[in-house]
Amino acid sequence: MPYQIVVCGGLAPDPLQTLEPVTTPTGPGLKNEMMLPAVFDPWASHALYEAANLAKQHAGSTIKVVSLAPKAKLQQVMMTVAQKVPFELVPLDGPIGGFTDAASVAAALAEAIAAIPGLDHSQLLVFGGWESATRGAGAVMQMVGEKLGITEQFLAVDELQIDGGALVIKERIEGGRHQVSRCSAPPAVLAWATGNLPEPANHPQTGMANMRAMMPALQKAKPASLTTALTFAQVALPAVTRETRIVKDVPAADIAREIAEWIKQ
Amino acid sequence: MEKVLVLMHTVEGALPPAALETLGLAQALGAAFDGAVVGAGAGAAAQSVSGGAAQVFAVEGDAFAQSRYATDAAACQALIQASGAQVVLAPGTMRFARALPGVAARLNGAVETHVVGLDESLNVRRWYYRQRMEATLARTARPWIIVVEPGSQPAAAAQAGAAAQTVAVSVETRTEVTGVVSPPADQQTIRPDAPLLLVAGAGWTKKQKDGATHTDEGGNLILNFVQRTQSSLGSSKSLVDLSGEGQAVLPFLTHLHQVGQTGSTPRHRKGLATCCHGEEPHVVGWRFISERRAVNLDAACGWARGKADVLYVADAFEVMRELEKLL
Amino acid sequence: MNPDTPLSIDAKPLDADIVCTGFGPAMGGFLTTLTRGLQEISETPIESRAMPGLPPQVICYERADDIAFGVSGVVTRARAIKDSFPELNPEEIPMSTRVKEEKLVYLLDPHGASRRPALMKLGDQVFRAVSGLLGLEHDGFELPYCPDFLHKKDGFIFSLGQFNQWVGQQVMMTGLAQIWPSTPVAAPLMEDGKVAGVVLAADGTEVRASLTVVGDGPVGQVSRKLDEQLGMPEGHRRDEWAVGMKMVVELPDHCELPEGLVFHTLGYPEPEIFGFFYVHPGRVASVGIFVPSWLESPVRTAYRYLQHFVQHPYLWRYLKGGRMRSWGAKSLLESGRRGEPFLAGDGFARIGENSGSTNVLTGSGVDEAWLTGTQLAEAVLEIYREGLPFTKESLEAKYVARRRASWLERESKVAENARNGFQRGVLQGFLGMGLAGLTGGGFFMPRPKHDAEPRKPEEFYVGRLSRSEIERAKARAEREGKPLHDQLMDLCGWPAIEYDGQLLVSHQDALLMGGKVQASGEFPNHVVFRQSQVCRTCETHLCVEICSGEAIHVSAEDPAGVPGFDREKCVHCGACLWNCPEANIEFTAAPGGLHSAEN
Repeated sequence: MPYQIVVCGGLAPDPLQTLEPVTTPTGPGLKNEMMLPAVFDPWASHALYEAANLAKQHAGSTIKVVSLAPKAKLQQVMMTVAQKVPFELVPLDGPIGGFTDAASVAAALAEAIAAIPGLDHSQLLVFGGWESATRGAGAVMQMVGEKLGITEQFLAVDELQIDGGALVIKERIEGGRHQVSRCSAPPAVLAWATGNLPEPANHPQTGMANMRAMMPALQKAKPASLTTALTFAQVALPAVTRETRIVKDVPAADIAREIAEWIKQ
Repeated sequence: MEKVLVLMHTVEGALPPAALETLGLAQALGAAFDGAVVGAGAGAAAQSVSGGAAQVFAVEGDAFAQSRYATDAAACQALIQASGAQVVLAPGTMRFARALPGVAARLNGAVETHVVGLDESLNVRRWYYRQRMEATLARTARPWIIVVEPGSQPAAAAQAGAAAQTVAVSVETRTEVTGVVSPPADQQTIRPDAPLLLVAGAGWTKKQKDGATHTDEGGNLILNFVQRTQSSLGSSKSLVDLSGEGQAVLPFLTHLHQVGQTGSTPRHRKGLATCCHGEEPHVVGWRFISERRAVNLDAACGWARGKADVLYVADAFEVMRELEKLL
Repeated sequence: MNPDTPLSIDAKPLDADIVCTGFGPAMGGFLTTLTRGLQEISETPIESRAMPGLPPQVICYERADDIAFGVSGVVTRARAIKDSFPELNPEEIPMSTRVKEEKLVYLLDPHGASRRPALMKLGDQVFRAVSGLLGLEHDGFELPYCPDFLHKKDGFIFSLGQFNQWVGQQVMMTGLAQIWPSTPVAAPLMEDGKVAGVVLAADGTEVRASLTVVGDGPVGQVSRKLDEQLGMPEGHRRDEWAVGMKMVVELPDHCELPEGLVFHTLGYPEPEIFGFFYVHPGRVASVGIFVPSWLESPVRTAYRYLQHFVQHPYLWRYLKGGRMRSWGAKSLLESGRRGEPFLAGDGFARIGENSGSTNVLTGSGVDEAWLTGTQLAEAVLEIYREGLPFTKESLEAKYVARRRASWLERESKVAENARNGFQRGVLQGFLGMGLAGLTGGGFFMPRPKHDAEPRKPEEFYVGRLSRSEIERAKARAEREGKPLHDQLMDLCGWPAIEYDGQLLVSHQDALLMGGKVQASGEFPNHVVFRQSQVCRTCETHLCVEICSGEAIHVSAEDPAGVPGFDREKCVHCGACLWNCPEANIEFTAAPGGLHSAEN
């Protein structure tokens, strides 16, 4: 059976950048926020790759990516993401940062999903990352599900298999273990951890095909209205500097003895 | 002070440590609070900690024995409504991390997750950008569900008291939990409760002094160390990625081991980093490790300098070989 | 929901009208001007020839993983850029500001470790003796005036990464051009001596277009392939290069330098190495050096020299306590007009640095590159409007002729022989540069028969290090698997670098702190040594010494033979290409490289 897969995902600063908080007139933000190179959120990326894998196995499936970000930045990032897998973009023009409220982001995403023409709940799988690399709340996907009336939800998913129409899902739980569940049918919300799929190679042709619809969509992207019920008193970098004792030119056996004693303490 | 509810769940019939930590936080606030428990044996578990609570509630039964969104969300919604609390404290276990944000949406309230601190004025502390910066914030929306990060608070001493009022909940779901998959006992290398975290970096797979790689030996040294010391194993992203690309490197590593960047930030008392080389984004992986030591060939290594208590500038292979003899 | 998105696509040829390689300032100028022209309302709008009824399909492929990952900052008069954006407000572009003050500073050598000609040493002694009179402070002498040909007053300071991003976003939001990052181009698509498009490295897709615009920079793959096929015009050659290496530094609290201040430096760390230091908004500065191909040192290393440069007392008083925010390196093609290739042919045109637009006398390349792009775009719009084909004839008439008639050509001619003197020696170099600059190219130092080349250590260090010292250093470097430069520089009296973990960090930490380097697993190694025998007989292994990321390194298995290559450390500066004396290095198209948007 074909699936209508909607992948929610925002942008995050390239994970290798050094980040620093600043106060802006609209609340906390990152220093040089618009200057930092951005990537599609890492966990949402995994969700997208899983979506593509599922869609490939079920003919007639479609993938829509719903993304809230400044549209110029979104376009820039999409030039890379669009080369990975085939999908359509539903862009929402909005802020990039992680200090926006999860609930208002979820409301905007749910509204955009509900407005997708031809949405069929009996085929609908809402994917996303289990949390973002910005806000890191792990709350948006559940709220999106609630607003869409979907109460079959899964968090930190690492595997999805289809078994006779049922969804067999592995979720991460404590202690490096996975809980296995069987959900008889869509609709369902799956908030992905890393999954098992590698990042697909770039396919310029996939990018070109995606971009035909993506460019007009981006140009028409409407600003999302976000509300905030949050008051930030402070955002600060942790004081991380420790006095590091450097042990050099000491035989390995002596070092091992010192470490062994420390472990036993 | 507004009315507080401590919302908990059982694991195999008993309250997990994270639940007692949340209870400890509620007690530290000094306000009156209710207690509530969902899960198998919830009634008895609730009574076991009801000393000091104004009221206690429980949802139990077969449907709620399983960790599952639809049933957990319905149960938690009912418990919060039964208590009428404005502020809900709950442990950030995977079960509640899954269920509670949706409950906040249902109740038109708000949720705060990964909370590591809370004061009497209800200022919440939590991390943003993958543990890179910490914020202090407050909200006016109620009910406000505050999900407390496991390991961030001291646990309360359980004190039994009055019996719990059972709350009846009925809910339909299309999902059935069919089991739990654990890695084989000899490959169990993630132990969240272990006192020590060993972090393995990509250096283990690089060419060593003799110009050759010794990945097999490195893998054995790491596994033996982790099993002998019963410590937990973490890995840098680059090493996990190498394993994922099918290269012949440390086959026991998965994304579950990854710390920092897009990985986890585990809490252990001690951490030993080996063959890691990197900067701040990697270091977030051991932000919540209290005592940190590192073995690395580079004295200027950004992973260790200013971040670790001790940096041993040495060949990790040699040190681990010697350690193996001692442990 | 429409189930119409295709879920698998074969690598079939693609059709476009204009395909572009490399997104830098030249391509920024091209696409800005072109997309503006395409938006002009006209009774006969310009139509695609590949897909009639649509506007021309314009696609640009960039090798790096983001259009903001440009490894350069720039101080520019921005004449051409201002023509494109007359209302340009630098506040719109992060890290940009107006040039407010310029100083040309001669730096003395506080360690006596550099290789200065005797006359220069004498001059330094005189300087020191009369320092009170001359205003010498902190071993730096601010020259009383900055020659006209060097000045950048009324110009801008940019981070090129940020500028490119700003331009690229505007171009893409027109919807009239697509810029694809992370998409290296393997080669031009040649058919019957004509360029019919390009071949993408990822999956071999042929992108067919009636015009291929080549703007892939000094070491671009398509440019090199074109040169292999077409050769160079009579008398033209590319033999002057430099590695530019820089840091973006967060200035310490005590530093009170105002934004917009620019220092150009000369004299240190070696007399042949020029340096720069300019202050962006927000207490951030760009600091760096150019290590030129005429520096005859067999162990030239940009990173070690950069560390000495920032610690020169004249600069260190501002930088001490600062923090490295970003770091990077690139090759600069400094042959100027003498390195100009065939600018146009059937189906292609070349713009930017690889087209020989950089002016080596004024030390300016970005604005010139931008100008070449705008000139080509104006030409392309005319060709469309007049219904002409993209032949050599029409491109020469419209593009090359425009370029020849512009200030770019005039100034390139003045600069053409300005640096000849450096092939003879550093003092002759300065003399020749001054001569050409001040006479508008009327007089210049003649080029010697044989250009300066890297020499053997024994020759270069004659009188300073004994043969046995050099042999011992070589043996030790081989044993430790390290480049030779640290050993020899230490022996010559260069002080050890005291790492502070902030600004002075190991080369490997610079790769991590300065932007992080990435290499895609999907592509084969992009640096390959063609013939192992050539490496085995190579005495200098200059590729190891010059490598900006320590990616090319002494091989543990074969210390005297073919060097090793760590792809995940390569910043794609391309210095190995022009430093290999035997041209034994193949550098193929690959994505990745340095991830920094601040350079």
